[in-house]
Amino acid sequence: MKMKSTRKKNRIITITNLIILSLFSVIALAPFYFMFVSSFKPGEELLRNGINVNIQPQIMSIKNYVLLFTDESSLYLHWYKNSIIITLLHTVLALFLTSMVGYGLAVYNFKGRNLIFTVVLVVMMIPIEILILPLYKLMVSLKLINTYFGVVLPFVVSPFAVFFFRQYAVGLPKDYLDAGRIDGCSEFGIYFRIMMPLMLPAFGAMVILQAMSSWNSFIWPLIVLRTNEMLTIPIGLASLITPYGNNYDMLMPGAVMSIVPILIIFLLNQKAFISGLTVGGVKG
Amino acid sequence: MLSSVPQTDTITIKYNRKKNIFYSDKVVPYIFVLPFIISFLTFYLYSIISTIMMSFQTISGLNDVEFVGLKNYMNLNNPHFFNALTVSAKYTFFTLLVLIPLPMLLAVVLNSKMTIGRNFFRSTLFIPALTSVIVAGIFFRYSFGEQETTLANAIIKSFGIGPIVWLQSKSTAIFILVVLATWRWLGVNIVYFLSGLQGISSELYESAEIDGANTIDKFFKITIPCLKPVIIYVVTISVYAGFAMFAESFAYWRSTPPGDIGLTLVGYIYQEGFNNNDLGFASAIGITLLAIVFVLNLIQLTLFGFFKKESD
Amino acid sequence: MKRTLCVIMAAVLFFSIALTGCGSAPKQPANQAQSSNSAQQETQQKKEELKKTTQFSFWTFQALHQQFIDDAVASWNKTNENKPIAIKTDVYPYDEMHNKLLIALQSGTGAPDIVDIEISKYSNYLKGKNPALVPLNKIVEPELDKMIKARFDNYAKDGKYYGIDYHVGAAVMYYNKEILDKAGVNADDIKTWSDYVAAGKKVAAAAGVPMTTIEVTDQWTFHPMISQQGSDYLDKDGNPILDNEINIKTLQFLKDMIYTDKIAIPTPGGHHHTEEYYAFMNKGGAASVLMPIWYMGRFVQYMPDLKGKIIVRPLPKWKDDGFRSAGMGGTGTSITVQCKNVDLAMEFLNFAKLSKEGAKKTWTVLGFDPIRWDVWEDPEMKADNKYTDYFGKGIFDMLMQIKDEINSINVGEKFPAAAAAVKKDVMFKALKEQSLTPEQSLKATAEELRKK
Repeated sequence: MKMKSTRKKNRIITITNLIILSLFSVIALAPFYFMFVSSFKPGEELLRNGINVNIQPQIMSIKNYVLLFTDESSLYLHWYKNSIIITLLHTVLALFLTSMVGYGLAVYNFKGRNLIFTVVLVVMMIPIEILILPLYKLMVSLKLINTYFGVVLPFVVSPFAVFFFRQYAVGLPKDYLDAGRIDGCSEFGIYFRIMMPLMLPAFGAMVILQAMSSWNSFIWPLIVLRTNEMLTIPIGLASLITPYGNNYDMLMPGAVMSIVPILIIFLLNQKAFISGLTVGGVKG
Repeated sequence: MLSSVPQTDTITIKYNRKKNIFYSDKVVPYIFVLPFIISFLTFYLYSIISTIMMSFQTISGLNDVEFVGLKNYMNLNNPHFFNALTVSAKYTFFTLLVLIPLPMLLAVVLNSKMTIGRNFFRSTLFIPALTSVIVAGIFFRYSFGEQETTLANAIIKSFGIGPIVWLQSKSTAIFILVVLATWRWLGVNIVYFLSGLQGISSELYESAEIDGANTIDKFFKITIPCLKPVIIYVVTISVYAGFAMFAESFAYWRSTPPGDIGLTLVGYIYQEGFNNNDLGFASAIGITLLAIVFVLNLIQLTLFGFFKKESD
Repeated sequence: MKRTLCVIMAAVLFFSIALTGCGSAPKQPANQAQSSNSAQQETQQKKEELKKTTQFSFWTFQALHQQFIDDAVASWNKTNENKPIAIKTDVYPYDEMHNKLLIALQSGTGAPDIVDIEISKYSNYLKGKNPALVPLNKIVEPELDKMIKARFDNYAKDGKYYGIDYHVGAAVMYYNKEILDKAGVNADDIKTWSDYVAAGKKVAAAAGVPMTTIEVTDQWTFHPMISQQGSDYLDKDGNPILDNEINIKTLQFLKDMIYTDKIAIPTPGGHHHTEEYYAFMNKGGAASVLMPIWYMGRFVQYMPDLKGKIIVRPLPKWKDDGFRSAGMGGTGTSITVQCKNVDLAMEFLNFAKLSKEGAKKTWTVLGFDPIRWDVWEDPEMKADNKYTDYFGKGIFDMLMQIKDEINSINVGEKFPAAAAAVKKDVMFKALKEQSLTPEQSLKATAEELRKK
């Protein structure tokens, strides 16, 4: 009797949970659907009626996508290429550098360690947006304006990533360190051959977080990048929306296409990502 | 990059014997943390110091600088600044109000053993976070158009409410900003809370059940206290992100919202620093913003007993 | 795990290489585009040609201006075979372009050779003793007697002319004749603003649509109306007079049109360049709109359904002897000091914008009212083009009538700040939000400007 009522209760909970989660999933995914549908409509339709729920086969076509990739100036392809290069450059450099710092902070006991770690925590709280003015002047004097490195360098050693790797590396077994030393490895040998492979789950999470933040970053590239050919996708798309001569036809397909690469990386890597976040993410 | 490094390392081993600095655990740690030190000194420390200096100057050109004392800070006493402060504060408040309880509840639901398709839902809820603010902003900007046919107006019409001019009033401005933030950020906070929930031992719940606790008791007596570190973390980054918000506002109104309705502190920095070319005044806004974020987070962390725990 | 990473990196790398491959080819300017694909001999030949071709870069915030410059480059190369030029144009959003330019000029690198600077930003670039722009007196002065001189004073300092405008920007009233007919209103009978209000009431009653829309986040409704009456944002010496009596009365008049007479509404989307407004107007949403002549292009491009229904008339007067237009907006094309071949650039600008042929092109390509009045009666200006198709003929006959009824605008150092404040604060707070009365709104902003 009691068993039966528990099972019934459980089934009700299962169904309620399912309904709640489905509802929120629909809300999460609906914008993609609407953007996808709108991307096949002429830009004029966006002008007239905004984004809406109507599917109008008579005016929908793949013309916008064709335009996006065959446009005479091929700006979108440039933006795409720039976004990919910048994201790649940022992600690889950031993972390499911040993992080293995080590892160093976690594994070694050295003078000034606590000070440096405190600085990491403090820097995490500084809105980088307030630094754009002097950073801009610095980039001008370093002649890095309108270059990939100008976009990447200032924020490549992300304090958040340092913190993240430090939290992860604190949990690594220290025995391996001594074993490595006895085998005659240098400290770097120990790191790259023994410890780094152990930190791979953390790398999995950081690949996505760093790639995401670089692919989507806005205010800094907006200021550093100067010529249309050097823009990244978000900046480029934002430049399409202007009162003086817009290109609405490219707006929606451009937005849709910008999601694809990051979505692929996520879908391929999601397990490592979420478990990585779970392990090292939140101890602060 | 990653694979090339061990090779150089092999070479090092060949040519150097034991006394090499690469073997010294006195020096090596500093090499490990060197990237951060360099980046901190060149980019952060330099920038903060020069922002502070610029905030006491009037800058007419890159080589045309005049020291003006506190003038820029006095000029903060104007309606635009207080408006930007209000918008940023309201936005932060509402994002906290929505983006803490909602993802926490959804994480509890996702974590329940009775839920099916947990991995699937976790991924779908996370996907919005992958879009850039601008791309999401394009969607929301045109969904919140004022024509009767736009998505937002079509939805409220089905509840019998007339079309609303979303983009041109103070109250709807905050609303649409929070909607955009919630849509993009919900999944991320869910993942954070989930990771916290997975750290709670099931024995705690079982013994509570034996004591006769119901679901609500368990949630408030066990779940929330155990999630405290996660909550502290999420609140900290939300306060930071809330006051640093600019791209969302830019997506709706570009850099000059009418009547300052969606003007945030960072938006005001952009407007004064770049549109009006007044770098000194913009720096004063920046330093004030930095102080606000620091003070708020200190208060918040003190309230949560973060520092007490550290010193124990 | 490692494998997944490798796969992703490889995929991304491949993707970027693939894109680089297809992205770079069409990037080159039109005159050398063929060279990339054709035989080597031809490439060699092209290269030699390229040596002689002088390259210029050009920034603008208005995509239409690119068409104009491209057209001018093509005709230049036809008539000047010995000194061919090529211009690479970048079109940026309004604020971003002006910001980038200011920073580039200040830091001494990265500015284009030739640039379009909008009138309400122009004085930002003339600050200091040595503006980073090249004086154009050499080409401007010989032609000045055939020009509307006020359009050059806007871009001048200490007797030096730095910019050449595209148009006069005569403000006019665009009426939707179909709606007026429905209400039994004849546009030619509307002589004064009170006639206009009376007609508006008829339209509202008969057609059920507002007579007009009023910009609440831009200045093109308010500024022409005060300029008609000889008022402005600043006085001749550049001091803010935004809160003078004429301005307060005018802003009150606009507010009354919306909330008392109920013949106008705040523009959907806030101003007349928004998606919402184009959609609204295209559907016959309002019976008229006050905008400068340069707005014709927006009708043709964004409001195709109104073709043949729109007629262009002078503005209603405030007094019997009042002016029927105002010179609004403008964009000065300038040469920066970072330009390497200033003489050739000047020659080209002279050809493209000052010459008779160039002036005619501003009408045929852009639909603007040329700054050279001696071409207004030219028979070529009567020829059919997409603007006469849309609005009918005789636009310049109308313009000739109002040619001397245009006040100049005082462009002082505070003009950028004043224009920005009118756009984002004054109009919005007084007309849309109604958080301030017209008087309070103007006074608050004027005070703020005086403090700067």
